[in-house]
Order: sequence, then structure tokens, then C-alpha cells
Amino acid sequence: MRNEKRMERLLGYSLVAPAMLLILAIAIWPVIQSFYYSLFDYRLNDPTKSSIHWSYSLDLEGYLQNYPFLKSALKQEMAAADGQTKQTLAQIEQKLAKLDAAIRSNDQVARQYDKVNEVLDNFETPSDELKIAELDKQTAERLTDTVHDVVRALKEMKKAGELQQADKVVGLAEGLEGVVIEPNFVGLKHYKDSFSDMRLWKALWNTTFFTVVSVAIELVLGLGIALLINKAFFGRGLVRATILIPWAIPTAVSALMWKFLYDGQNGIVAHYFETIGLVDRMGDLLTTEAGAMFAVIFADVWKTTPYMALLLLAGLQTIPHSLYEAASIDGATKWQQFTQITLPLLKSSILVALLFRTLDAFRVFDLIYVLTGGGPANSTETISILAYKVMFSQTNFGAGSALAVVVFLCVAIISMIYIKWLGKDLLSDSASVKR
Amino acid sequence: MTKKAGPLFYVFLALFVFFVMFPFLWVLLSSVKPLSELFGDKAFNWLTSHPTLKSYISVFVNYPFLRYLWNSTVVATVTTVYTVFVAAFAAYAIARLEFKGKTVILGLVLAVSMFPQIATLSPIYMFVKKFGLTNSYLGLIIPYTTFALPLSIWLLVTFFRKIPFDLEEAAKMDGATPMQTYFKIILPLAVPGVFTTSILVFIAAWNEFLFALTINTAETYKTVPVGIAMFQGQYTIPWGEISAATVVVTIPLVIMVLLFQRRIVSGLTSGSVKE
Repeated sequence: MRNEKRMERLLGYSLVAPAMLLILAIAIWPVIQSFYYSLFDYRLNDPTKSSIHWSYSLDLEGYLQNYPFLKSALKQEMAAADGQTKQTLAQIEQKLAKLDAAIRSNDQVARQYDKVNEVLDNFETPSDELKIAELDKQTAERLTDTVHDVVRALKEMKKAGELQQADKVVGLAEGLEGVVIEPNFVGLKHYKDSFSDMRLWKALWNTTFFTVVSVAIELVLGLGIALLINKAFFGRGLVRATILIPWAIPTAVSALMWKFLYDGQNGIVAHYFETIGLVDRMGDLLTTEAGAMFAVIFADVWKTTPYMALLLLAGLQTIPHSLYEAASIDGATKWQQFTQITLPLLKSSILVALLFRTLDAFRVFDLIYVLTGGGPANSTETISILAYKVMFSQTNFGAGSALAVVVFLCVAIISMIYIKWLGKDLLSDSASVKR
Repeated sequence: MTKKAGPLFYVFLALFVFFVMFPFLWVLLSSVKPLSELFGDKAFNWLTSHPTLKSYISVFVNYPFLRYLWNSTVVATVTTVYTVFVAAFAAYAIARLEFKGKTVILGLVLAVSMFPQIATLSPIYMFVKKFGLTNSYLGLIIPYTTFALPLSIWLLVTFFRKIPFDLEEAAKMDGATPMQTYFKIILPLAVPGVFTTSILVFIAAWNEFLFALTINTAETYKTVPVGIAMFQGQYTIPWGEISAATVVVTIPLVIMVLLFQRRIVSGLTSGSVKE
């Protein structure tokens, strides 16, 4: 018997393992990485910041595409010049040669150095791993300083007309300026910057406002609809199918559909809203701040109320009818029945529906991205939209990841609050109870 | 259930259905309007006197819309098949076998299903970029695991739990191994649940927007939601084509919903209702 138990346990773990490994690798690990990224000045469009660096390093490709040519160019200039100019050039040449020796003094770097040189001689591109060599802080700073001095000196000589191929020489020297890659660890700076930026607070406010208002309306309407259709009637299946359709179509497509209906010149819904006096002018819906927020919430309510109604309807159907019969025999009014029977028994259904909807609304992206793009004047910009824009429009992955982590933390806090209310209901292992 | 539905009820019901369906109805009507009637004075007329299929033709001729449909079909189908397969084993173990840490695992699954996509976006984007998977089907199928797998496990666990335990006990008595029990008893009984789960996962994968928007940016690998959303040009929005495309993607959904509404509802509400 014990053996059997052990076998069952082993089987259990091995069946769960593949799914758990996938979840760990594709969902949990990325969240941890997002947090890690958020600690760096990580930008995709800047080659020196396009990956994470803990320490100083040298871009050997950039270095070797410039230094050898600069060296020979300097030699040519020296041959053509005389007197003071020649001396200065010789000094520059020597400085750079010493620096080169310092760089090569590390065996590992020297090996990479030669390999990259070989690759470049064959007119090929070295791999990222090969071309980035680790550099100690001292050499890195010396390199930066030296290059800076050399560029200044050469520019002065260029101005004085002492160089024959001034543009080429200065250009090559300037090419050495970007080869030192500094560590881009910034700690919690992105968080500090974000939280002192009004844009984040506005986005948080927009997200909260959108979530609270749309979920509240959806709950009230959804409950009303659930109560309405919680009875036998003709065409029940068809009605159920109808209310599933808004839920089923892609949010991006429904957002575009609403954009058409809200259109300031040709939108039928905008036209009707103007006719009944809900907005002053048709165009106000998508071009004013209040109008855009209203438009977004209205579209969300349209799409998700049916889902809410279905969840609540399922909850209503589990309430035994005998309770209502007993109550009406005791003379309870409809309203009393609703507040004394329906609401208390529906509590856990309502909370679960609220949990799912609140989290969905808080994460909102597709609807707003397509319908308003966060505008006008960032009035509908939610925190997910802001994070996306920072990541992909400004290509600032570090700061964007920090915002993504903020979204994650908010969602975690909201779930914890709900789970506390719900108790262990959500996860209760009904299987073992039945046994 | 004995409450009788009066005429007033049907009026409310009709109004409700009308409000829900109005946007679709309007888009359907607009999709057959000639271009000149989409703008200006005639924009608010319900019916056109010159119905035309020009917008529909344009969608397929001027846009790679068939390609979008194909991309979405491939990505959603593969995601569904593979996640439901992996999830079925895990869900069986969680629902039917006795081992420590089940509640923790289920809690983890639920927690992951609540993860905001944006929080996983940057590392996943870097990952698919590093392995050259941007603009490929795999580049979407891998990230789609993040929401499809927890959803599948969560739904399947509730379905597996509903299968009577007596059958399993009987099989055990007869000397069946757990694997035999799984394939001979549980799986056949779980087919409806697996099917429902598949529908819901398929819809979720078909509708996904954020990953598709960032990872597959090339015209030939766009999915339907991104493809349609990107119909809008810099200055003009081709409402005729957008309406037609919306109708084209909505019709199969309507058919699917009509056919499987019972299953979809049972899937949506399972896990949220304690019976």
C-alpha cells in the first residue's frame, strides 16, 4: 500500500513536471528578467547599451576598424610634416601605441584581438561574443581619456591646416570614441524617475479610473441581464449565442469597429450621441479628453458585460429555487428576496467575476491601443500602453521594463486583495473532499 | 425556473439583443455600401440602394488578408494542440492523483494566468530576437504558452474533477495501472471537457494582440487582429475594407458560437462557480 502511494506520488510529479517547467521557463522567468532589465540603462537603438553590462568592455570590432588605419594615416602625416607638427604627431602615435599595448597586456583580450583582426581581414563580421572584450576599469578610463585628448589635438591641427588628410585622420580618431562600453547598471533609477514623472501617475490614474468605472458598470448591467434571462423563455439559446459574440471577437477588431462608429464625421454612434445630446459635437468623442475616456469605457462595457452576465447567470442557476419559494411563502418581497437570498449566495460568483474582470481591465492594452492610441494628450494612456510606448517607440527597454514591473506589482496587489476576500474558495481541492 | 416570461420581458430582451448586435449590424450594412456612401450625407443611411461587394474584393486583392487568416489559423491551432496536450497530463495529475503540493501548483497556475502580458514582453521579445524567431510561427507559439497553458490546466482540472471517482476505483480494483486508467477510462470521459478547453484556448490564441504586434511585424507573418488593426493608413482609414474584413472574421465566429455555445458557456463558467 505504501509503495503504491509512492508510485502515485511519483507519477503525479512526473505528469505535472512538463507543464510546470514550461510555465517556469516561459512565464515566471521572463517576469524575473523584466525586473532584472529594469535595473539597467538598456536601449535597443544604442549599440553600447543594447545589452546588459556589469563591467567595462571594449568593442574590438570598432577599435580594429579604426586604430590600425589611424596608425598608418598618422605615419603618412608624419612623413609629410616637419618640425613641431611632426613631433606632436609622433607623440600622439606613441600614446596610442602604448595604449594598444596596455589593451593587449591581458592574454584573453589579446587572443580575441587577434581573432577579430583575422575575421575583419576576411571582410567578415565578428560575432557579438567575440568582438566584446572585457576591460579593467583603469584601462577603460585611460582609453577614453586618451582618445579624447587625441581627437582634440588632431582637431586643432586640422584647424591650423597642418594635416594633409585632415578629415580622414580626425574621422578615424573619432571612430575610437564609442568603443568603450561602460557598465549600464543603474539600480532603481528607472523607478525613481518613473515615480517622479507625472506621466506615470496620470497613466496609473487613467488605468484605475477605467478599471473601476467600467467594471462597476459591467457588474450592475451584467447582474441585471443575468437576473433578466435567468428563466425559461423562447429563444434562450439564441440569446446566449448573441451575447457570446462580443466576447468572442478579437478585442483589436472590436476596437476598430468602435473607432468607425465613433468617427467624428461618419460615425453612426457619434451621430446618435450628438442627436440625443450626450456629446455637444460628434467630433468630441475621440478628440476631447473626457470624450475619449467615455468612448473607451463604453466600448469595453459593450464587449465584456455579456461575459460578466454569463458568469453571474451560472452562479444564479446554482441557487436552489426552493429558497425563493420558502421566502415568498413567508411574505418576503422581491427586493427582500434579492438582498437576503440572491446577493449573499451569489457573493463568491460575483467576487470571482470581479477578480477576473478587474485584472483584465487593469491590463487593458488592445482596446485602447487601437481605439485611441492613448490619446488625445495621453488622456486614455494606461500603464500598459505607457510601458509599451517606452519599450518600443522610445526603444528604452530598461525604463519600459520598470513600468512593466509596476503593472505586475499592481496586478499582484489587486489579486491578493481579492483572494483574501474570496478565502480559499478559489483553490479548494474539491476532489479530495469528495473522496 | 417556473417564472413566466411576459411580453414586457421580450421587449427588454429584444432591446438588449439589438444593442449588443448593433455594431455588427452596422458594420455589415457598411461593408456593402459603395465608397461614396460611407462618407458625407449618406453615411448615416441604414440601407444603400447600390449594394456592392467591392470592399470584400478589395480586402482580398489589395491586402494579404488570406495570408493573415492562414497565419492566425496555424498559430492558434498549433498553440491549442500543444498546450492542451501538455496540460491534459498535468490536469489529470492535479485532479485525480494524491501528492503533496497540489494546491500550491494550482495556485501557481492561477497566478500565472493573471500575469500581465506586458510584464513578460521585453524578455520574451529579446529571446525570440536572439534566436531569430521574429516573423515566424514559432515566435508566437512559444510566447502564447504563457496564457494558453495556465488556461488549459485550469479548465481541464475542473473538468477532470467532475468525472466520477467510482469508475477509477473500479478500474484500480481490476488491476489497471494509472496510465491504463487514464487512457481507457478518464480520457474518453474527458473528451467533451478537452474539446471545450480547446475552443477557449483557440479563441484566446486567435485574438491575441500584444505579442503578435511586437514579434511578427512583417506583412507575411501578421495575424488577423494585427493585420486588420494595421489597415488604417497614416491619413486615411479604409472603413469599407475594415468593415468587410470584420464581417469576414466575425462570420466563422458566429457559426462557432452558435454550434458550441453550451460548451463555451460551461468552459467560461467552470472554475468560477462552485457546485
